Amino acid sequence: MKRSMIKLHYVFIIAVFFVYSIAGTAAPQPREIRIADSRGDWGYPDPYRHYPRGPGYVRMIWVFDTLIWKDQNGYIPALAETWSFDAGRQAFTFNLNPKAKWHDGRPLTSEDVVFTLEYFKRHPYRWITVDNVSRAEAIGPHKVIIYLAKAYSPFLSDIGGTMPVLPKHIWEPVENPASFNDPKTFIGSGPFMFRDFNKAKGTYLYEAFPEYYQGRPRADRLIYVRSGKPLVSLANGEVDLANIKPEMADPLKQKGMVIIKDERGWNKKLMINHKKLPFDDKRFRQAIAYAVNQQEIIVKSHRGFATPASYGLLSIDHEMYNPGTSTYAYNPEKAVHLIESLGYRKGAGGHFVKDGQPLKVELLSSNITVAGESVADRDGEVIKKQLESIGIQVDLVNMEQATTDSRIKNWDFDLAVSGHGGICGDARILNEMISSHYGAGSVNSARYDANPELNRLMEDQMLEMDQDKRKAIVFKIQEIYAEDVPAISLYYPDSMAAYNPDKGIQWFYTRGGISKGIPIPQNKMSLIK
Amino acid sequence: MRSVGQIKPVAAYLLAGLIMIYASYSMPRLLPGDFVTAMYSSSHVTLTADQEKEIRAYYSRQEGFGHYLSDLLTFNWGYSYAFLTPINDLILEALPWTLLLMGGAHVIAMLFGFIAGVETAWRRGGCLEKAGVGSMTVLEGMPEIATGVALLLIFALNLGWFPASGAETAYAVHSPMAWARDLARHLVLPLSSLVLAYFPGNFLLTRGSMIMVLREQFVQTARAKGLPPARVRYAHAARNALLPMVTRFGLRIAFMVTGALVVETIYSYPGLGTLLFNAIAVRDLPLIQGIVLFSSLMVLFVNLALEYVYGWIDPRVSHAS
Repeated sequence: MKRSMIKLHYVFIIAVFFVYSIAGTAAPQPREIRIADSRGDWGYPDPYRHYPRGPGYVRMIWVFDTLIWKDQNGYIPALAETWSFDAGRQAFTFNLNPKAKWHDGRPLTSEDVVFTLEYFKRHPYRWITVDNVSRAEAIGPHKVIIYLAKAYSPFLSDIGGTMPVLPKHIWEPVENPASFNDPKTFIGSGPFMFRDFNKAKGTYLYEAFPEYYQGRPRADRLIYVRSGKPLVSLANGEVDLANIKPEMADPLKQKGMVIIKDERGWNKKLMINHKKLPFDDKRFRQAIAYAVNQQEIIVKSHRGFATPASYGLLSIDHEMYNPGTSTYAYNPEKAVHLIESLGYRKGAGGHFVKDGQPLKVELLSSNITVAGESVADRDGEVIKKQLESIGIQVDLVNMEQATTDSRIKNWDFDLAVSGHGGICGDARILNEMISSHYGAGSVNSARYDANPELNRLMEDQMLEMDQDKRKAIVFKIQEIYAEDVPAISLYYPDSMAAYNPDKGIQWFYTRGGISKGIPIPQNKMSLIK
Repeated sequence: MRSVGQIKPVAAYLLAGLIMIYASYSMPRLLPGDFVTAMYSSSHVTLTADQEKEIRAYYSRQEGFGHYLSDLLTFNWGYSYAFLTPINDLILEALPWTLLLMGGAHVIAMLFGFIAGVETAWRRGGCLEKAGVGSMTVLEGMPEIATGVALLLIFALNLGWFPASGAETAYAVHSPMAWARDLARHLVLPLSSLVLAYFPGNFLLTRGSMIMVLREQFVQTARAKGLPPARVRYAHAARNALLPMVTRFGLRIAFMVTGALVVETIYSYPGLGTLLFNAIAVRDLPLIQGIVLFSSLMVLFVNLALEYVYGWIDPRVSHAS
């Protein structure tokens, strides 16, 4: 009897874990696209409940359309077929596509656009600011004029191309949108209808909206799945699109995948606590910049898969990038000279000393999340060696990102390795990443207000509606920023994704990033046109 | 007197439970960082000082321990900041997956570890024993993360036999049989990683205990009586070598959440470990509290249960107490 029981155990275990497992998987669904994501959970895809990160916005924007949109080349029509700006009246006019409909079948009209702007004034959608809009006026069912309270140069990027338009008939009675937990919150006008979000599994399911005004989407179902190793999931056919590490591009190409590469819209930065001695002195910050060898970091920490960054913050791929921005080509002698000009002298062991105190700094480092993926590197170690080689003692502290962020936020640091995207998007990013007026809540912002001219120029660029004049201001901002170096841009890592071409979808990276510069190759136009 | 003797350990466990509830309330608050910084500070939403102040005020509302305790007793474990969902729902959603993965791994590792340990101890000095002890000692030293990644690279990336992530193919339309097959396919790699991590310890522990027990006089007596070897091994010797295994099994089950964290994260398995990992990453305080508390109470519950299981397996324990 006991022997037969033991045999039964064997049979059961073999049956469940091996025989069944080898026997194959479910048949793939027709016209179904699966995208891998290492985190999975990015909140509910409605404007008030998605996470304030790029992947959260992308989850939402499949469901909600904006007035205009972007593709590989720049702005394209979305809900608005045409648009224009009247400088005299400081007003934008949008002519809506008459075929646009909500997912419940009701027509989308200019009243919905007017309502959305008024609603976001009462209940702010933190992804955008509508403070500069004075009012909006519906001229007939398909024409809307938006009047600005004052000139606002990032209007097309921030509002036209980012603001999700809400259905008035759904949201009008809602007084507390953050706790509006009803399936109706997911009624949008985008190409896909939201069907499910499984919080434990980190999966999302969308279904095509057949009456979408730009044509029926090219996939019936869009599914996000959580994968600890998206690249592996792509390689063995579980998903159709995933971010990849650059060194995996060739092996994946051999497996028949298509590799796409983003423009240089994300930069790794060395944050400097410029409120603290000796970092409050511009010459000391410049010495650090001369001591840091960008190319060595790229070679040793990233196997060459990166490009040295501009010290002016904007990407070298940005249309307003100033090629005349100051540079700090690796020059340890100059770095030593600058530090000595501040009264430091080399002491025992070749380390700088001033008033009997050694020059010792703490460098915080952590795995930074890029486009939703946590990326490990050795940047901290390389920078530590570079600084120590000129005589600065460095205490390298590796921590997880939230702890590092918290210390940067509270100015409890000397130097910290950090990074952010958006540097190929609207030049407003300069204000957010430099000034505490715009970027107080960001740990990536230098929060540097010490240069009155820089502060004035940043205000000016927000008010300049003429692109050429704005470009001249932005050029000057980059020059001053590079001269003052409140933070040091180090490099642009190569950002790549791979997709399976068998599904007939051509994925691409968006010019300047999706919306305000999201470096994710999940542009909804890939599934429309 | 006997009833008083039974009440005492229960009272001790209640006191320990109260201390753990306090620990689950206070410890997560000592974590550096906060939800607003973790969620917004590196985001595409760049908050102004006023906006940040407003959000921080909302998420910094402090509730005293008394309030927290009364909520717990009424099964109101709070609301997740990130998921905007009750904690109870999130834990109940993730728990079955952890039970399936961890429970399955423990049962398999214990069953096979025990049998292998008993058999090699019985054949002490043979080649099989020497090879088994050597290989298991090496395997015991390998961390779960190493075996997990190695299995992933070999069987998912290179051979493509098994899926790399998840517990099932998301939103696939299956027959019940195909669904069971799909579940098993997704379970193979994470389960194997855990079995490889737990099996060597079980094997070595059982073997060690068995060697001690086999020297006992009652085993010699059983042999002298001419009982079949299998009966001597399992009914007489192995039963007495089982106690340390039960302790190990109990402790491992008790630390299910932390034990699963590494493997669940590697394979994106939707259990409590992944939930805790994500909660810590965004400093979702109510959710961290909830999972830590659940895990702590599980430790207590399993320890309490073990007290009775010991008595059942080995009556000497009951007599001694």
